[in-house]
Amino acid sequence: MSGMNALLEIKNLSKLFHGPAGSRIHVLDGINFTIDSAGNDDRLTSVLSPAGAGKTTLLKIISALEKPSSGEVILKEKKYLQPDGSIVYIPENASSFPWMSVNENIEFALNLKKISKEEVKKRKDEVISLVGLSGYGNHYPHEKSSGFRFRISLARALAIQPEVILLDDCFKNLHSETKKELHDLIKSIKQQLNVSFILATSNISEAIDLSGNILLLKKNPGKIFRQINVIEFNKNHQGEDKNVSLKSEIEKSFEHADERMNIF
Amino acid sequence: MSKKAYHKNSRILLTGLFFIWLILFEFVIPGNGFLPKPSIVFLSFGSLIKDYHLWRNFGVTVSEIYFALIISYFVDWLLCKYITGNEWFFSALDAFYKLFKFLPAVILGMFLILWFPNSNFNGVIFSLLIFIIPMAVKVKEESYKVKPEYIDAATSLGAGKNELSKNVIWKAVQPSLLNYIFELHYLAWLLLIVFEFMKGGYGLGSIYRDALRYKDLSALFSISIITGITIFAGFYLLKYFKNKFIHWSNF
Repeated sequence: MSGMNALLEIKNLSKLFHGPAGSRIHVLDGINFTIDSAGNDDRLTSVLSPAGAGKTTLLKIISALEKPSSGEVILKEKKYLQPDGSIVYIPENASSFPWMSVNENIEFALNLKKISKEEVKKRKDEVISLVGLSGYGNHYPHEKSSGFRFRISLARALAIQPEVILLDDCFKNLHSETKKELHDLIKSIKQQLNVSFILATSNISEAIDLSGNILLLKKNPGKIFRQINVIEFNKNHQGEDKNVSLKSEIEKSFEHADERMNIF
Repeated sequence: MSKKAYHKNSRILLTGLFFIWLILFEFVIPGNGFLPKPSIVFLSFGSLIKDYHLWRNFGVTVSEIYFALIISYFVDWLLCKYITGNEWFFSALDAFYKLFKFLPAVILGMFLILWFPNSNFNGVIFSLLIFIIPMAVKVKEESYKVKPEYIDAATSLGAGKNELSKNVIWKAVQPSLLNYIFELHYLAWLLLIVFEFMKGGYGLGSIYRDALRYKDLSALFSISIITGITIFAGFYLLKYFKNKFIHWSNF
């Protein structure tokens, strides 16, 4: 699925790390996938794998924070070689800066784009309202919960209007109620804005709940061995509970790939 | 023992020592060669102002230390990009730092006195060297401990080296840097007083020099009290600034 409709193309991505005494660790091997601009993945693709399969490395390569050993990342038909805010990476532990208030965190991102003060204010107000932080503009991240910090990171990313936002297991350590609220927030943003997400997760239910497309990644080395389009799967399994049937399908796939999944 | 109880006990002990000195040296053994009579110490403040030019010398030392501290902080902020991102630049600073780590800094002071015997600025230069290089080394050391999440997040938003160093690394290292400045603050006082003592001319160190030369025990005692109170006030002022402006914890 490459060509005119492709928003993001990942082509033959591999990553080798050089360990001690000349050893080589093959973290990722021949990763290929495409995200189309029409939103056929319901604007969110999940990379699902057990811990240690190379999800973080994959997301860091996609966002150009790390260089691949081979392969390329193509965003809107151009190689994405330097981070410029078109693909924003949100790390596992919320990365909002504790020395900046909510307003300042968002302004930091907007000021990188060299836009007018009026535009900065307009966009800041929009994203603050969008992620549910109205009234908290002068609060600091460390005064509140992890969910609050994630909202700041998300607002900061959305403010600069990226093409793709990468979520690196961001909901992993959250309380179930907060997790549910943030899942709903992501679903609502997907519907309102023209932005695509890639979520790296080890949680099958989370991947099913949020994504239109699930990539199953096995480890040693990290390799995508199956791609499931959730929308098509649901069409073919009408009348069944998607959480049950899709979950069992994913589990079977991992069993066949000799992997064990931690089901949260 | 809790920190609060420890502070309370040390205050009680200091007050006790003050009263022992007051009673013992005012009434019991007034004429001795160890500590002066409290009433003479009180009167010697007048002599400090008149004969030892206390305000002028006090102003010189205080302005040299705090001017150097503020300028060093500002210069290290300006150079943060090079300190954290340019290995050659940092290696040069580190070499200088290591040299004076094992060679007492007062020796550098001696050279400054010999090189610029009539300069009014060698005290400032000496104070700048006390602050600027150790602070730069601290910034570099602490930059390795900054959460990689902060760097990754900022870089993926499109931040370049300049924005990273000023808005992320510099800010993230502030709690540790300020704690280190507390230590340097005391060290700077110590070294500058020794430097002024060697050089003579202006500064609190020159009062110590003259008081020692004239064997003026009461002046030596009263200038020590003034020095102690000033260092204490400076320390609390710095602590106030840290609590007020650096509200985030270490990393």
